Amino acid sequence: MEALNVVVNVAFVLEKQSFINLRLSAVPDSDPFTMPLFEGLSAGSEKSAVILDIGAAYSKVGFAGEFGPWAFVSSKVKLSKTKKEVFVWDYSSEEELFDILVEFFHLLYFKHLLVNPKDRRVVFCESILCPTQFRETVAKVLFKHYEVPSILFAPSHLLAMFTLGINTGLVLDAGFSETTVLPIYEGIPIIKGVQTVTVAAREIHRNLAALLQDQAVLITDGEEAPLASKMSSLPDTVIEDIKVRTCFVTNINRARLIQQSILQNDESKWPAVPSSVEYPLDGGSKLVVTGKVREVACEVLFEQDMEEKSVATTILDAILQCPLDMRIPLAQNLVLMGGTSMLPGFAHRLVDELKELLSKPQYKDRLAISSFKVHSPPSEANYTAWLGGSLFGAMEILSYRSLSREAYNQAGKVPDWCSLDDAVQEAEVVPKERSSMKQLEALRKLSLEKSSAGASPTPK
Amino acid sequence: MASLLQFEKVLMKCSCDIKSPIINLYFCKHCLKLRCGRCVSHEVDSYSCPNCLENMPSAEAKLKKNRCANCLDCPSCNHSLTTRATSVALTDSQSPDKKMTKKVYYLACGLCRWTSRDIGLGDKETASGGWEEHDNPHFERLNELLEFYHQLAIKEKNEREQKKFNKRRTYLRLQEKYFSPGGLATRRKASFLNALSSMAPKTDEPEITPVKLIEPKEEVDPLPSKYYTQPLVLEKVTTLAQRLNRPEFASSQVEGLYPRHKHLVIKRSQRCRECEHNLSKPEYNPSSIKFKIQLVALHHIPDVRIYLVPKLYQAKESIVTILLSNPSQEKMETELEAINEPPSTGLLTVPEGLLVLAAKDITAEFDEKTADTSEFKDNPEKKSSETSQGHIQFRSGHKLGVLFKVTPQTSDSDVVVCFKLKYKYHNTSPSLRTPVEDEEKPDAVWLEHEVEINLGATSP
Repeated sequence: MEALNVVVNVAFVLEKQSFINLRLSAVPDSDPFTMPLFEGLSAGSEKSAVILDIGAAYSKVGFAGEFGPWAFVSSKVKLSKTKKEVFVWDYSSEEELFDILVEFFHLLYFKHLLVNPKDRRVVFCESILCPTQFRETVAKVLFKHYEVPSILFAPSHLLAMFTLGINTGLVLDAGFSETTVLPIYEGIPIIKGVQTVTVAAREIHRNLAALLQDQAVLITDGEEAPLASKMSSLPDTVIEDIKVRTCFVTNINRARLIQQSILQNDESKWPAVPSSVEYPLDGGSKLVVTGKVREVACEVLFEQDMEEKSVATTILDAILQCPLDMRIPLAQNLVLMGGTSMLPGFAHRLVDELKELLSKPQYKDRLAISSFKVHSPPSEANYTAWLGGSLFGAMEILSYRSLSREAYNQAGKVPDWCSLDDAVQEAEVVPKERSSMKQLEALRKLSLEKSSAGASPTPK
Repeated sequence: MASLLQFEKVLMKCSCDIKSPIINLYFCKHCLKLRCGRCVSHEVDSYSCPNCLENMPSAEAKLKKNRCANCLDCPSCNHSLTTRATSVALTDSQSPDKKMTKKVYYLACGLCRWTSRDIGLGDKETASGGWEEHDNPHFERLNELLEFYHQLAIKEKNEREQKKFNKRRTYLRLQEKYFSPGGLATRRKASFLNALSSMAPKTDEPEITPVKLIEPKEEVDPLPSKYYTQPLVLEKVTTLAQRLNRPEFASSQVEGLYPRHKHLVIKRSQRCRECEHNLSKPEYNPSSIKFKIQLVALHHIPDVRIYLVPKLYQAKESIVTILLSNPSQEKMETELEAINEPPSTGLLTVPEGLLVLAAKDITAEFDEKTADTSEFKDNPEKKSSETSQGHIQFRSGHKLGVLFKVTPQTSDSDVVVCFKLKYKYHNTSPSLRTPVEDEEKPDAVWLEHEVEINLGATSP
């Protein structure tokens, strides 16, 4: 019993020490020369967590407490079995996804992060609408195959709030495959208000490819020919590059004029066309990307589809789903993130569109909002969620909030907001509680043995 | 024959039921099982720069964000940059007539002709450079946020500790009350804990200073008018890959491209998941291609190769010569057993009985036509008369040509045959066996692996 008491004391002292470590490591790693000192002092403390954000097009990876991802990796991997390069999100079955993720995480850990997966906790940034199958498989791969100590599945929209130090806001994430809007009020995501449209970078690419195929001219050795006659399609990477380097989101006035011009088939209404660009393709030929194409390619974001949905309407619809009291604060705290929101002119056009939509009949009488305010996170929009993960992962409380490997092995699945199973909430605490219970049992036995030898005090 | 280039023709099943070519397999001497890349755990062994081959300890590698301190990459094409020396004429301010030349250095890319002068980086007087490093533009703001969240984390942690501690204390008191006959030592310890507990909340709960809020903006910067009016110079706009190389400093103009430190590479070591023994461990020196430990399957289990395949016809028996070779320095007894089940697409008859492979003699490889071969010549004769009549095509050194009878059952797909390869494995390193095991475990054990051979398509 004496020995056990000592154990308790030692554990207590160790915990006290970790407080000190926390203080020290609270000083961010600004100066590379003082860092080794800190590392030496806090040798007992944990290694910084790995922050993973697996996007549809690009994945962002790095470590907690860092201010930018260490690597931006295309989310595809060459499978050793089939020797084919596949996108991570391009899977047909869980087994296939498992194989893809095993190889993809291997690439991330051993080519980019260069750390042992076993040593570090993981913060996994995910969309709130991430398919259960995907996150379950991620957990399976990380826990079973890579044996990571714990994973925190963090909704990317909430993480974006971390980069701003606010807890109320309307977060728009315009990524590759879809645009998702989530209202967050006082730190609570309002799931009812989630709005999503499948209009994002992929749709722009599709539109741009169609426009080019339809209109573009290819110059080979001084001879001009329509692109369609030479090539049936341009590679995705070329389309992406043309979008990034030449396209922009035009302002709302010009967009209206262009719309009219197309509708009335009247060329003269088209505003002064921006300059065209000769884009060099492999093989010495040049593709002429006209000013019209450059300007119109990104218009898909704001064109309303059959259900009258566009990137702009998702924001208003999300606000409409929220209680009255929340609406103005939400409109005053817009946060834009995702690579697509980095298109030149995107934010300005979005705000203009929102203002115009307010005067439209479907919103006019239902929303009393007059202005919108946009936050600017301390990051580029394409890694805002990652940065939030990094800030969160740097906190010492990460272990309390994460799903530990033991808890996962016991429960066999990942707790989720959409499942009402008795989720393993504070995962880390559960096994510890148990062990102290065991300790108590052992103590009781021990003392009973002792007491049975001498005078027996009866426990009441 | 089909080994060096077509190694995927002969596959072996490892302990995780994945079929891989023998060159991709490890053989764990301790569990006596085949392991593939999927069923071993990988570990980071040592860091080095692929350009200057300099070793780096792991702590330093983390500090430098997995990048080499000396080598730089071209921001435009990711090729390694070289330092160029040039001399510039300087005019002395005091005596304008006197011309002085000075040696200066700048960076240049040998592949895409990018130079550090392109972006206006000043020449350096030392060859080693001292090139400017950039800080994240939001460095201060992010530090503030990090500090703020640390305060919150400490608060939460304190609360949790408090809870835990209270529990523990009550349990100590109970224990004291019921189980201990009132030992002085325990009482003193408890009082000591009490003292600490009353101190803890006061000292460890600092006031939380809220982080300064950056107000969202109502006015969003519109798209500059140059997009509509000025011609776009494609060469001046960075590609997406160039931007993602340095996500925090992403610049859309080539003037903003700064050289990046070279990413490190690692050597990995492999460990058996079951017994945790190292299966492969490279030498520390980055330029060495040798291994300290290397338990590759090729060195331990008989290698199966396709030697000669005649034209195969559906439903017609053909005789295929398969080469078995013994990698060990001891004689090896093998036995084969056909598996005529899917995925096999041909009916296979293998030689029955024991096939003995001669020991591998490294010196014999160099003088094949000496007395050694003659010694082996009588060997097959003896064997063929005794055990496997007519099944042995030839014998040369440690290799044995075996005749398989294959009847293809398919006409449109490749003919695949499967068999079990059983062999007597001699554990040659005595250090691996503990004295206790020695008595129970014989020197040699029979092991078996499933082998799948793809013999190619049938002839019409």
